[in-house]
Amino acid sequence: MNTFSEKVVKILAVALAGGGLYLLAAYEHGQRESIRRADVVLTPACIEKLARYGLESGEYYQSPYVLQRTGAKLATRGYADDDIRAIKRGCNIIDDTQGKLASDPDRERWNTRRFIRGTHTACRHCHQSVGDKQDAAGNRLVGSLNLGASWTMADMYDRFTGLLLPFELRQMQCYINSSNGYKPNIADDVIRDVTSYSRFLSVALDMKIANRYDEQGIDEIPASATPKQGDDYVRGEAIYRQKCESCHGPQAFGRVDPDGRLVAPAIAGPNAWNMQSRNYFYYVSTILPGFICRNMPLGQENTLPNQECRDIAYYLSNLPRPAGDRQGPIIALRQQVLMKVLPPLLRATGSARGKAAAAKSDSGE
Amino acid sequence: MRAPELALKYRALLGQRWPALSRNLVVGLTLALVTLPQAVAFSVTLAGVPPHFGIYAAIWGVFFCSLLNPSRVFHGGPNTAMSASIGVTLLPTAPPFGAEYMGLALTLGLMAGLIQLMFYLIRPLGRILDLISEPVINGMICGIGLILIFRSLTTFAGLPLNTEVEWPLWIAWQSFLAVLEVGNLHAIQIGLITLLTCVVVQQFDPLRNWAILIGIAAGTLYSQHLNATVGLQNTLIEQIGNLSSIGLVFPSLPLFSQESMPDVIAILPGAVTLALLGLFQTVAAMRRMSRKAGGFTDSRKAIFSDAVSNCLLPFLSSLPTCASFNRMWLVHKLGIHSRIAIASSALWLLLLVLFFAKAIAVIPMPAMAGIIMLLGANMINWEDIKPHLKSRHEATVFVASFLSVLFLDLFEAVLVGSALAVAYSKWQQAHPDISLRGDVLKIRGNLYYGSLPIIESIYHSALAKGQDVIIDFSECYYIDQEGIRWLSGLKARRQAAFVDRRTGRDRRDDEAAETPGSDERRGQSRRGRKQDRRRRSDI
Repeated sequence: MNTFSEKVVKILAVALAGGGLYLLAAYEHGQRESIRRADVVLTPACIEKLARYGLESGEYYQSPYVLQRTGAKLATRGYADDDIRAIKRGCNIIDDTQGKLASDPDRERWNTRRFIRGTHTACRHCHQSVGDKQDAAGNRLVGSLNLGASWTMADMYDRFTGLLLPFELRQMQCYINSSNGYKPNIADDVIRDVTSYSRFLSVALDMKIANRYDEQGIDEIPASATPKQGDDYVRGEAIYRQKCESCHGPQAFGRVDPDGRLVAPAIAGPNAWNMQSRNYFYYVSTILPGFICRNMPLGQENTLPNQECRDIAYYLSNLPRPAGDRQGPIIALRQQVLMKVLPPLLRATGSARGKAAAAKSDSGE
Repeated sequence: MRAPELALKYRALLGQRWPALSRNLVVGLTLALVTLPQAVAFSVTLAGVPPHFGIYAAIWGVFFCSLLNPSRVFHGGPNTAMSASIGVTLLPTAPPFGAEYMGLALTLGLMAGLIQLMFYLIRPLGRILDLISEPVINGMICGIGLILIFRSLTTFAGLPLNTEVEWPLWIAWQSFLAVLEVGNLHAIQIGLITLLTCVVVQQFDPLRNWAILIGIAAGTLYSQHLNATVGLQNTLIEQIGNLSSIGLVFPSLPLFSQESMPDVIAILPGAVTLALLGLFQTVAAMRRMSRKAGGFTDSRKAIFSDAVSNCLLPFLSSLPTCASFNRMWLVHKLGIHSRIAIASSALWLLLLVLFFAKAIAVIPMPAMAGIIMLLGANMINWEDIKPHLKSRHEATVFVASFLSVLFLDLFEAVLVGSALAVAYSKWQQAHPDISLRGDVLKIRGNLYYGSLPIIESIYHSALAKGQDVIIDFSECYYIDQEGIRWLSGLKARRQAAFVDRRTGRDRRDDEAAETPGSDERRGQSRRGRKQDRRRRSDI
């Protein structure tokens, strides 16, 4: 039987713990609110992108892009100052996810680093040109993962999981698998701001819901779109050495300048996407080849034949990378061991084999 | 007897029994209110089926189990792990909430029920479930308690649930940070008021059984006050919502069409997992809680009750049922061990959804989350943990089960904990206490194929020293066939003499005859005597 004092202590302990939690939450909410109201310092790419699309507060918004392309003066509802700041923060997150250009990365990027395990990942690596890739003439490119088109075509049944997948949940999948990290809560500003930016892009590009846009997602390459030679690891390695190694490094672990600036992100190893990402060839075999063909090598897009893209993707997916979050701790441990053990082994054995394959490929055999 | 007299007699009887009955009914109502949000959450967020699946499991699943299972603490109904397992199994086959998916969910439940029936009919299969030891169960209970707290964090702060599977500890940490940074402060206020009211009321013994109901009422009143003053559009508090479409029963048929056969075959391994998941939890929870309540129920009866219920429930649009650790803990904490209380919880829930759907609809989810957190905290009881920490073996098994729940899942926790417990017991059996004093080799423990190499090594080292060895079995309580053959070999080669001090006779003279009367004088059990006689005759 509890004594009276024990009961009072119990009540006080619960009251203090609960009150402390509430006060801490109120303080954190205050901090968030101050960040939401603070001016946003844009990254160079975002300054260019948002200036080009004429983002300003006002009662109406008119897209200079649409005016230039079609001559139509389309006026849509304008943006308040809060909206403008959210769009700017969203653009910054896409361009500089890890906050390397920010003076206070965690505050200015809503702690995105907390949701990403590696040090390389940024949204713009897949969603190039801040989620809106165009050619010199301003044409949007097929299969370029355009964020405006993704927002317009979101809220559809996902064909891989059969789930009705809102744009916010799709972002969470990016954090879990493509960034090999943890998903933020769906109500977090980090998700809301990226949605704001994507929605703005769809307005600036005059995209309409219920339409289908080729620039959304990936232009997938199935085996049926190749001469049906079969995907080949050795051929893939040889092409990788020729076309990709100079940027992504000999083991595809990415390349970082001596001053810490990221030259090219990892596409294998601990900083890359995990084994449950749709980029992983064994999980979905059509997406990574599609990305490679339409977006790589930078400046020479659409130059690789379909079969070569599939070969490179096949090769890359055989390199060690982190396990997915649903594969359990044993596979995660196995992958961690492989990522430690395989690189020195590959360095010792792979270079000679790779050079021989490249020489064979050059000689046209 | 005239009608007025009969009425008076029954009134008197009711008057006599009313205090006990009313306590049962209050506990039933509390259980019904605690089960309701779990039923809705498990079916929608975990299993991918509409909420009435979970609610019917909480009504008919609980009711069938209370009729079929003689345990006074058993509370069935929807279960977290089973619901999650249904979602994971069916995800590749059809889109959730669709007609085909729901049909396959019912098929999966029926197949699991039939597999469970097999566990009842084939007795050795059912006995496997008894290999779950107490440290495993307590480790699991503590793990589940923590998981309940973690899982409720987001609902407590009015945030959407994280529905995808991730490692629970990472989810918990991210959820805690999300509560602080982006949680709904109104929701946190409601959750805290509910929690604090509950804790305060629990301290008054006459009101202890009412604590949860009073807590929910306080949270609901505060939520209604906020909605009236600030407006629901500003508070954005999630409520249980409208359940008025749910009726008495909703008949259904599992999907077994010719077109669905490939899918049915594909989900068969999932059905085996589901069946085992349910049975392991049922047997473990029932044994633990029955012991706490000072009773005993044969686990076969629980297997039978689960199996029959799960064969019936797919025809009533219901999720499968199995024991719920947290609700059984609540039954125990409320101090009422009675099947009436448990059956009444099902009937209360039925009445609530039939007649009070509008009142239930306004109960705020943060208040329910606060209650579930309190239940989780109550499941971690130092008095239950302390005894396991006294033995290194038990502590290891306890910690392994606890961590497995947090890092793996419930099913794997049972496997890891049980495997460790069995391994430890085998290790102990394989290492009998052997002492060589003078020429007497005394064996305390088991003489079987596992311990034989150790005994042999000491025996041969003694022989090598040129000693005559006498093997003393006085404290040897089990010898298997391999041990008997070894001893027979020694006897045949005249390499050793044997002694069993329990008989009071030196057995080196090869006289094995023994009168039954001397056995009785020693007061040995019948089984011990039988083994003893067999051992001697073999030697």
